[in-house]
Amino acid sequence: MHELSIAQSIVDVVETRAAECNAARVKHVRLRIGEANGIVNDSLSFCFEMVASTIPPLAGAQLIIDSVPHRARCQYCDEEFAVANFIAQCPTCQEWSQEIISGTEFQVLEMEIEVV
Amino acid sequence: MPKVTIAQHILASNETIAGEIQQSLAAHGIYALNIMSSPGAGKTTLLEHTIERLRGELVIAVIEGDVETSADAERIEAAGAETVQINTRGACHLEAHMIRDALAEIDLARANLLIIENIGNLVCPAAWNLGEELRVVVVSTTEGDDKPAKYPQMFAVSQVMIINKLDLLPYVEYSLEKVKRQALAINPHLRIFELSCRTGEGLDAWCAWLKAFAYHEGTQDTASTTGDERRY
Repeated sequence: MHELSIAQSIVDVVETRAAECNAARVKHVRLRIGEANGIVNDSLSFCFEMVASTIPPLAGAQLIIDSVPHRARCQYCDEEFAVANFIAQCPTCQEWSQEIISGTEFQVLEMEIEVV
Repeated sequence: MPKVTIAQHILASNETIAGEIQQSLAAHGIYALNIMSSPGAGKTTLLEHTIERLRGELVIAVIEGDVETSADAERIEAAGAETVQINTRGACHLEAHMIRDALAEIDLARANLLIIENIGNLVCPAAWNLGEELRVVVVSTTEGDDKPAKYPQMFAVSQVMIINKLDLLPYVEYSLEKVKRQALAINPHLRIFELSCRTGEGLDAWCAWLKAFAYHEGTQDTASTTGDERRY
């Protein structure tokens, strides 16, 4: 259960950027989170709203989470495939892939604001 | 309503501090090792035995993370290592700022290796970079042989897995083959040590490897755990 710490970090990032932009209010914050981070989106949204509610420009801000699937590419047969439970075994040639092509993203992308 | 680009890591502040820690350690030529496990797998006992066995060969400094108490730091101090205790007062993992503050109390010029003992938890510590070079996950024969499948992220982000409490194998339902198979399916490059702190079995191999790692000896083994094969 570390979503609360992660929510606090997102709020810190957004609060700093909102102050730089003279934002009166932050409406939405968009994240890009890869599945490999093991984040529970509902839990993160709940924690974010709770932490954001204590900071006036962020109070009421909504979190939008773009989830990115966990995928790998096989270096033997070039097949791209979904990684389930962190097991990156190629479904075609059964080899284990070393190349994770998506799923590790962990970014605050953008926010929508009202300016003073 | 204007959209503003942010494009920052979610744990931006932690990543920045972790980078500073890594630089400060590199300036002293030492690596940090982040050791993680579920509660009771034997991290502290492993550290005690490791420090005692390597006394005179390797000066190890330790940052000891626990939710409460300084009991573990006292054990590590008694084993002969300079130790700083962090109490997270409820938090389930260590963060880089805690390590930065603890490092202010450690004389890095005297140390060859920094070991950070994380909070006993197989989930949350996996997400926080502490400026370490190496992540070690400890499992034990008393906690069930399905831990890699249940907590795959921890095994994906680690480079070394230690299976502890080998001496208890005759008394528990635990398949070494199964735990290794599961862990290697998640992370084919995981370096595995099987040992018992109680009998000493396997400790020599672990200590020899750790010493080579601390002295940056570019053996094939150490290179394969810290090079570009790190996927997460």
